[in-house]
Amino acid sequence: MTEQHSRLQVFTSNWQAAALLLPTLALIAVFLYYPFLETVQLSFYQLRVLGSGEWVGLQNYVQLFESGAYRNSLVVTVLFTAATVTASLFLSLIISFLIHEANRFTNLYLVAAIWPYAMPIAVAGIVLDFLINPRIGVVTWAIEVLTGFQFAWQTNGALALVAVIIAAVWQGLGYSIIFMTAAFNQVPDSITDAAKLDGIGRFQRLFRIYVPLISPVLVFLIVIQTIGAFFGGFALIDLMTSGGPSNATNVLMFNLYQDAFLNQRFGYASAQSIVLFGFVAVLMYVQLRVTDRYAYYGGA
Amino acid sequence: MPDVSIVPDTVNERLLTTTGDSQLATHAALWLIISVLILPIALAAVYSTQTTNAVYQITNVFPGSALVENYTTVLFEYNFGQYMWNSFVMATVVIVGKLVFSLLAATALVYYDFRFQSLIFYAILFTLLMPLPVRIVPLYQLMADIGWLNSFAGLTSPFIASATAVFLFRQQFRSIPASVVETAKLDGIGPIQFLINVLIPMSKGMIAGVTAIMFISTWNAYLWPLVAIIDRTNQVAQVGLRYIQGTGAEGFVQWNLVMAAGILVLIPPLIVLLVARRYLLSTLGGGE
Repeated sequence: MTEQHSRLQVFTSNWQAAALLLPTLALIAVFLYYPFLETVQLSFYQLRVLGSGEWVGLQNYVQLFESGAYRNSLVVTVLFTAATVTASLFLSLIISFLIHEANRFTNLYLVAAIWPYAMPIAVAGIVLDFLINPRIGVVTWAIEVLTGFQFAWQTNGALALVAVIIAAVWQGLGYSIIFMTAAFNQVPDSITDAAKLDGIGRFQRLFRIYVPLISPVLVFLIVIQTIGAFFGGFALIDLMTSGGPSNATNVLMFNLYQDAFLNQRFGYASAQSIVLFGFVAVLMYVQLRVTDRYAYYGGA
Repeated sequence: MPDVSIVPDTVNERLLTTTGDSQLATHAALWLIISVLILPIALAAVYSTQTTNAVYQITNVFPGSALVENYTTVLFEYNFGQYMWNSFVMATVVIVGKLVFSLLAATALVYYDFRFQSLIFYAILFTLLMPLPVRIVPLYQLMADIGWLNSFAGLTSPFIASATAVFLFRQQFRSIPASVVETAKLDGIGPIQFLINVLIPMSKGMIAGVTAIMFISTWNAYLWPLVAIIDRTNQVAQVGLRYIQGTGAEGFVQWNLVMAAGILVLIPPLIVLLVARRYLLSTLGGGE
């Protein structure tokens, strides 16, 4: 504890401290730790009805790793996540840089660029679902008139994945731009000036100088957007594709939802939750190893 | 307007001032990108004023005559008035709960000295590893067991404890100068008075920022309401979008109404973002 910190500790009553912490601790015990530990336990059971089941050891996990459907789901999730995070971060980087470079209207641009952060992912899903509808969507129509390309994502699995990726990137841009703009503003003017005097081009300046300088923020955003894509993609899939066509967009989270709440395979679904926990834990660990400054934005 | 008026008076300044041409390109690129970001919502807003017949004519992207009719149909016949009210109540309960409980917890973590203080703090932070999907099955079972499925209690209780808010308020409190704290101590006030009279007034910006962030994330929640609420009258607006989109068979969806519902659901978090943007930006991007 720093001296400053110990000087802050002006109250001494232990029971008061306990009382102040009680509401938070009670809630995390009941609604976070207990269900999480229970998930671990359920993943070793087979249950058709919640509350009663039989111990099956690692069978759910064995089944998961032998399941072609689950492997497909894993591949789909990795593709969806990698494409969404890459495209989203690249675009956010360009947009934030342009805002940083602009000599006026920067506040206006910032608001006009970050508003998708407030957009519910379900709204992004239903709006695009109509605009890129293969039969009556104006965007699909325009693409076909201009390029002759038929964006038939409702019947073509790869295109369906592209459609949900577009929605996810659109909705996710604002969040990254908020953090990147703040990070750009931290770059000392002297560095920017020196680069300009050396006659380095703008985009070289972005990728050679700014990107390394703001890399802690980038790592944070990669981790948080990856976790977001793993879990947040659910509403888009549910509203736009229902996992189809032929499971081409059946991400892990949608698969889990279906197994738990449509197929009533609660033990099997719990094993899937634990696999997801593994991914989150690894990502958060990576994030903490690089920088712990932003780690706390991961939750709600 | 390109920047042409400045006549640089030193070599340095000429080199450092980005030229008019490159500024023009920057502004043009930004206008283009922002237009693309806004275009889908602008189109949705236009479609939300059209009749169902008009919305099926692909090339018709002009405002229609059914604005009032569409929005009243969505609000009353499709119950979006009720859904949005439910979302609003949910967000309010969650935000008030998070703020009160997190402020209390952060007070204990900063202004007291007790055993296991760090351990307790890390136990709270560790819950960042437990997003809803890694505990959804037992949580559902728990709600079923205690009879909270389909209720506001079931909808809100899993979201009220907040590692993020506890962490942010702890950071904020630790940045308050010790002299302020010591003055308060000399006055002999208790912890709740101290929180209300000293800490909260000194943390207004962060409280506003956290409130905005929490409103947006709670209003936008989709998975848990979908699972926990069965009775449609208790449902929130996000899942309401699923209902209205699913009412017609493919080819008969009333897309004009779906777009109107989407615009309605977008408006509250958008207003929060615009009104609280300063606090939201400093809470998320700041801390320096």
